[in-house]
Amino acid sequence: MKHFKSTAKATLMGLALATAWGAAATAEEARFAWYASTVHPYFDEVQTGVDAFSEKTGIEVVKRLGQDWTQDNQNENVSAMAAQGFTHFSIFPSDVAGAQGLYEELAERGVTIVDFGQATQDPTPASFYVGTQAKEAAMQATEALIEAMGGSGNIINILEVPGENTRLRDEGVQEVVARYPDVQIIQTVGDLATIEGSVEKVQNAIAANLGNIDGMIATGYTPTVAVAELLTEYHEQGGEKIHFFGIDTDAVVMDAIRDGHIDGTLAQNPYGHGYIPLEILRLMSEGYTPVEGTHAIDAGVLTVTADNIDTYEGEISTLTQGIIDSLVGTYLTK
Amino acid sequence: MFMQRLRAGRIITGAEAGILGAALLLVMIFAIASDSFLTQYNVFNLTRTQSLYMFVALAQAIMLVTGNMNLSVGAIAGLTAVTFGYTVDTLGLPWPLCVLIALSVSLGTGFFNGFVMTKLGVNSFIVTLSTLFIFTGIVYGVSEGYSYRNIPASFKAIGRGSFLGLPYLFYLMLGTLGAVWYMFRYTIFGRQLLATGSNKEAAELSGINTNRIIMGANLLSSLFAGVGGLLWVSRLGSAQPAIGENWLIISFAVAIIGGTALAGGRITALGLFAGGLIMVLIKNGLILVQANVYFEQAFLGSIILLTILLDRAREVWSAKARKS
Repeated sequence: MKHFKSTAKATLMGLALATAWGAAATAEEARFAWYASTVHPYFDEVQTGVDAFSEKTGIEVVKRLGQDWTQDNQNENVSAMAAQGFTHFSIFPSDVAGAQGLYEELAERGVTIVDFGQATQDPTPASFYVGTQAKEAAMQATEALIEAMGGSGNIINILEVPGENTRLRDEGVQEVVARYPDVQIIQTVGDLATIEGSVEKVQNAIAANLGNIDGMIATGYTPTVAVAELLTEYHEQGGEKIHFFGIDTDAVVMDAIRDGHIDGTLAQNPYGHGYIPLEILRLMSEGYTPVEGTHAIDAGVLTVTADNIDTYEGEISTLTQGIIDSLVGTYLTK
Repeated sequence: MFMQRLRAGRIITGAEAGILGAALLLVMIFAIASDSFLTQYNVFNLTRTQSLYMFVALAQAIMLVTGNMNLSVGAIAGLTAVTFGYTVDTLGLPWPLCVLIALSVSLGTGFFNGFVMTKLGVNSFIVTLSTLFIFTGIVYGVSEGYSYRNIPASFKAIGRGSFLGLPYLFYLMLGTLGAVWYMFRYTIFGRQLLATGSNKEAAELSGINTNRIIMGANLLSSLFAGVGGLLWVSRLGSAQPAIGENWLIISFAVAIIGGTALAGGRITALGLFAGGLIMVLIKNGLILVQANVYFEQAFLGSIILLTILLDRAREVWSAKARKS
């Protein structure tokens, strides 16, 4: 039965891609599509960049969200879109390893792909990756945390679900901590996929190290939201100060920064994650090709604290424009 | 008198004693292994999480006892949480009214599940697998993935406050378990639930309207899931659409560790209490002993299996002892 399902799925995918190839081959104009795994606040912010691109260039970009985070779901939906004749895709790969098969089949048929948000593993058919550099962002957050702690103390390292990006973030945190002899990671908590699970594990870690924690670092979205909730409650109930830096700008996190319960977070550049890949695809549809040796484009991150919480968005816009201005020459050539 | 009743199994049955014993053994091991285990902060959080688990487990156990299941418990909790968040944050209604609206929605989901099961004769697995997706889709359709943050402080106090060092939720759990114990022990509806799960045909032949009983179980299941969802909102301080996403495994694990029969016909309130305690103790213990994060799920699964095997061994030994 399982074999039959796999065969049927492969046949359907093949049919869809074959149709896509026909459409792509006969299309006179490039058609642009944007695809993300499922409903999530991050993707909402990315879509503002996509919409801005459409508004500025007059190019229609069809946006589509999947039903869940699985690669299977993405394969089916993207194949169906390719079958409709889309030739240029900006995609958030649901699984950085699992997306390879889909990309290879699309690329063989002349479809151009740019990853946003997270990069498919090398070697990848995606022409570029635009997003945050996981390890560098984790290092930046850790530096900010240690500075807030006064250069010494004990840290709990909080990781999201196991995976390539999580491993890189973990490495980033450990590398920075290794530079400070008076800073130690006293516990690593991981596999935090859900909000309830994150709250439970982090509160267990606090209980296990009570009175011995100076700071916590979270490098994933879900644990960041959970820790922001948890430290708000912990500090409101008179718990001793625990410094914290997380990632992303969920409203819960921003409230906790404003109220002084956490120190800060790293703002990614979701607007840039939306705009820049489409600008690259537009240029490639006009005949530009990647400069040899280029692939990852760092869309940048900004450390957000109470000091710049109301102004950081302007800084991100400037950052984005700088990257767009440097695309031809640095990353693309004709 | 009390000891006689205890020995006769009228207060604690052998099965309950086994599960409770396993929980107490874990408490002793962790108390010896870690200085942090019996701190007030840890005890508060352990009992609070246990209380939340209990509502998750009850939502599943009440279905299991009738020989059915509810795969949509987490989605119902998420829908209840988002309904509450929307009405209290977006519409600005008073929170007691929002609780009523949210619980009405959760009861509505239970009614829908029950209707399809009993009137259309569809298997509970199929029905609740479908509604898991339907309710989750509504959760994200309404919330668009965003959380509702303006939760009144008086509502948050339910999930965050304490009395005599223990969370309010703990007392709420004890009261609920007491009511569940009473229902299965002394009410006609409770006995009919057990009879339906033990042997549906026999129950029908003895005059029980099993469809009505299964509908009742669905309503209770959705009510427990809804209450659990609201308590998570109160504990977190925001209504997150992701509430309930990890409930499925917990709901089955706590219910089964707690002695609820997968085939139906058996449930024990004290066993559920101990099952919830075992689950939080294991998770707490893995953090206390700093288990490798990448192997954590393997450790968790192994310990749950070991606990169940120990309880099974106790049952076998007891049966042998009775024969001899």
